[in-house]
Amino acid sequence: MNESHDYDCLIIGGGLAGLTCGLACLEAGLSCAVVSSGMSALHFSSGSIDLLGYNADRTLATSPVDALPGFIEKNPDHPYARCGAETIMEAMAFFGRELEAQSAPMYANGRENHFHITAMGTLKPTFLSPASVFTREIRAAFEKRPAIAILDVKGFRDFHPGLAAANLRKNKLFADCPITCGEIELPGQTPAAGGARDMRSVDVARILDATTNLEAVAGAITAAAGRADIVALPAFLGLNRYQEILAGLRRATGRLIYEIPTLPPSILGMRLDQALKSRFAALGGVFIARDTVDAGRIEDNQVISVHTTGQKDDIRAACYVLASGSFFSKGLVSRYDRMFEPVFDCRLDTPPDGRSLSGAAFLSPESHAFIRAGVITDGQLNPQTADGRTIANLFCAGAVLAGYNPVIEGCGGGVAIATGYAAAKAIRARLHPPQPTATAGPQ
Amino acid sequence: MIDLENTSFDCCIKCTICTAYCPVARATDLYPGPKYSGPDAERLRIKSPLLADHSLSFCNNCKRCETVCPSGVRITDFIYKAKGSRLKKSHRLRDFVLTRTDISGRLSAGFSWLVNPLMKLSVTRFFLSAFLAISRDAVMPAFDRGTFVSGFRNQAKAQEGFPRKVAYFHGCYVNYYDHALGNDVILVLNAMGIGVTAPRQKCCGVPLIAAGNFKAVRKNAAFNIASLGAAVADSDMKIVFSSSSCALTVTQDYPHLLAMDTSAIDDRLELLTRFLHREFAAGNKPAMGSLNLTAAYHSPCHLDRTGGVRHTIAVLQSIPGLRLILLHSECCGIAGTYGFKKEFHAIAQDIGHRLFDQIEQANPDIVITDCETCKWQIEANTRFPVRHPVSVLAEAVKKF
Ligand SMILES: Cc1cc2nc3c(=O)[nH]c(=O)nc-3n(C[C@H](O)[C@H](O)[C@H](O)COP(=O)(O)OP(=O)(O)OC[C@H]3O[C@@H](n4cnc5c(N)ncnc54)[C@H](O)[C@@H]3O)c2cc1C
Ligand code: SF4
Ligand code: SF4
Repeated sequence: MNESHDYDCLIIGGGLAGLTCGLACLEAGLSCAVVSSGMSALHFSSGSIDLLGYNADRTLATSPVDALPGFIEKNPDHPYARCGAETIMEAMAFFGRELEAQSAPMYANGRENHFHITAMGTLKPTFLSPASVFTREIRAAFEKRPAIAILDVKGFRDFHPGLAAANLRKNKLFADCPITCGEIELPGQTPAAGGARDMRSVDVARILDATTNLEAVAGAITAAAGRADIVALPAFLGLNRYQEILAGLRRATGRLIYEIPTLPPSILGMRLDQALKSRFAALGGVFIARDTVDAGRIEDNQVISVHTTGQKDDIRAACYVLASGSFFSKGLVSRYDRMFEPVFDCRLDTPPDGRSLSGAAFLSPESHAFIRAGVITDGQLNPQTADGRTIANLFCAGAVLAGYNPVIEGCGGGVAIATGYAAAKAIRARLHPPQPTATAGPQ
Repeated sequence: MIDLENTSFDCCIKCTICTAYCPVARATDLYPGPKYSGPDAERLRIKSPLLADHSLSFCNNCKRCETVCPSGVRITDFIYKAKGSRLKKSHRLRDFVLTRTDISGRLSAGFSWLVNPLMKLSVTRFFLSAFLAISRDAVMPAFDRGTFVSGFRNQAKAQEGFPRKVAYFHGCYVNYYDHALGNDVILVLNAMGIGVTAPRQKCCGVPLIAAGNFKAVRKNAAFNIASLGAAVADSDMKIVFSSSSCALTVTQDYPHLLAMDTSAIDDRLELLTRFLHREFAAGNKPAMGSLNLTAAYHSPCHLDRTGGVRHTIAVLQSIPGLRLILLHSECCGIAGTYGFKKEFHAIAQDIGHRLFDQIEQANPDIVITDCETCKWQIEANTRFPVRHPVSVLAEAVKKF
């Protein structure tokens, strides 16, 4: 590291993109810090990673691995096109290894997508899922046309087994599966009347994390599940001890316990957030929570330093990554008169005028135009200043990028991971250019 | 009339992330949690103050909700404004003892030889519990002898001799409980060629805010702003804090919660470890000997809230022979005076367990933290001695 720098790499935003980029930088031996205003979009997500759910013609993508080259060809401005199919798959493999090292593995269905069940009882294609949502064992169990019980905990406000069951029954994949619904009470659950707030998934997860009587929970599940082979529960089986709880309940009930992601804050997303942050800390990364980068000093097409609101620090790094997310995370800001990127005022791709930001229907399969808005980058993921100059040591990753639609393409998590990883790769190449004699990696 | 300026609750996107990470909401379902007690209920309270209820008292002001909120909502400003202006006070006598740290501290520190042993007696603890609603099980901190300020007078002259100086906000803790920490601050800064002044100051007011006594805290704040402002007016002196909670209160609560004008001191305020980190980075590092010590670092909630943790860690990492274990950030539960109160003591202990367990697992020689009440809480609940980062630094400086 250069003496005049605090870090080799400073990352703005501690979501999926920023953390993946940070891990890749640390693994490459670079020193790295992440500044993050607040918690990320992982808290809203399903906890599964979508790589490519649908082809360019909107048909279901069976294998994202096979579909990506064609998809990239048809979408030359897509963030995936900035990475290339090879780097994307390298990124997914890297992400998997990092989580495995943190004992929080994710599972893929080989080269193909698998489905996860939503709280509405619909099926969503995705690429990586945690063990409570997809493993080979779960796939085999569902292929046997099993009897399924969808259970809920009494007083839990964010899930309706009847709704999920009704939609699942409409799906021909489940036509031969008897689906029942039920409700259980947890040991140690305080009577609803005493509580001052509705029970959310975090509350249930805490009760389960604290329980010393998993047997009783298993007993309640067995009683409510009847003859079902698979028991689906909202994803609330603990935040800290979740692996132990899942294994314990599977063992004691003799059923395959399955988790369905529900409303935010998403437990499956929180577990992922926790695993990534722990891994980042374990590798020596500096995570600066609750500060906001409010400005960057740019000279000669380079970011010299960034300034933070809370500590009023000027932080200097050799390279910077903008992984500040979309509108929810304030990586992009929309006002009546304009849309902008608040830190560097990078050039944006935006819908032509304010009125065209949203479609006519609120819930529409076409989603809304604002979703494609974001920062324009070149092939290196470098953005431009408002007056069109490329910023050479700033790289962009994740939901702040323009040119993709995670809703209709089913690629939100994949774009964050692929671009975060590609940005780290570009940074490594910039700081340690490959020597002429060494064998160079793929460009 | 609705105060149209303060509708920042509209920034809340209702994601419930704050409640998911609130340690009190984790410990008890009697607390509605930050989302409801803050932005949600404020919407109703501005229409009818009668809607403020005593569930607000559960909040321990750790501000972890604000640390995680993706929308930058000043959640605790809503909670404490409502507590201060819309709730009827209870436990007035206890609040006086626990919040008027200036007065109770001055009285008790003068009689520390009497007060300290007295506080250990079960009969005293019975009376504290019966009349003041202070938990019998809480371990009360011991007072130091006299005050730091009176001791400092002897050194003031020598400090004047340094060409560069800082204004030190020592706070009540150093003044009444821990003079050694104040002296360590002086030792380290002097070793870096920097002198220390101690402008007149009153308690920053964080315990008064917790009790909702805004009239008293405004008085303290006005005094401090004027006194600190005058002390640094004709120089480029920084005002440094060894306590992360005092720093947070003066930098954030004075201008935001209390709407006080802090422009005279705004750009001077700095947590001491941030000041040290920047000095070290600029090449002004004191000579240090090696410590051969394993320490677990606990970042206090109020330091987390300011985003300043990296400065303390950087300072600790520069100490030779200090092996650092970074604990996963958790609230210790005490939250200033919260854990001393009878009705909240069990909640505080329940909150703290996750931290205590982590410390036990790490099994360090010492625990390090920037917060005085975290220190009390950890010492009362684990086997490990707890030190301030600057005291560890001072030890390394003395070793050279
Ligand atoms: C409701 C919802 C559900 C989703 N479900 C799925 C799903 O099931 N599967 C899937 O694959 N994808 C899903 N996605 C998409 C995917 O989760 C996101 O695209 C991805 O997580 C974005 O990651 P990110 O790191 O780019 O941004 P974010 O996760 O938004 O993180 C950005 C971070 O930057 C911080 N930040 C912003 N500005 C600053 C600043 N100036 N200074 C410091 N910090 C700053 C923010 O506080 C935030 O923590 C979903 C998205 C949403 C919104
Ligand atoms: S975390 Fe912030 S935005 Fe989310 S509910 Fe709480 S206050 Fe509202
Ligand atoms: S300050 Fe702490 S106790 Fe109070 S609402 Fe926020 S997180 Fe909960």
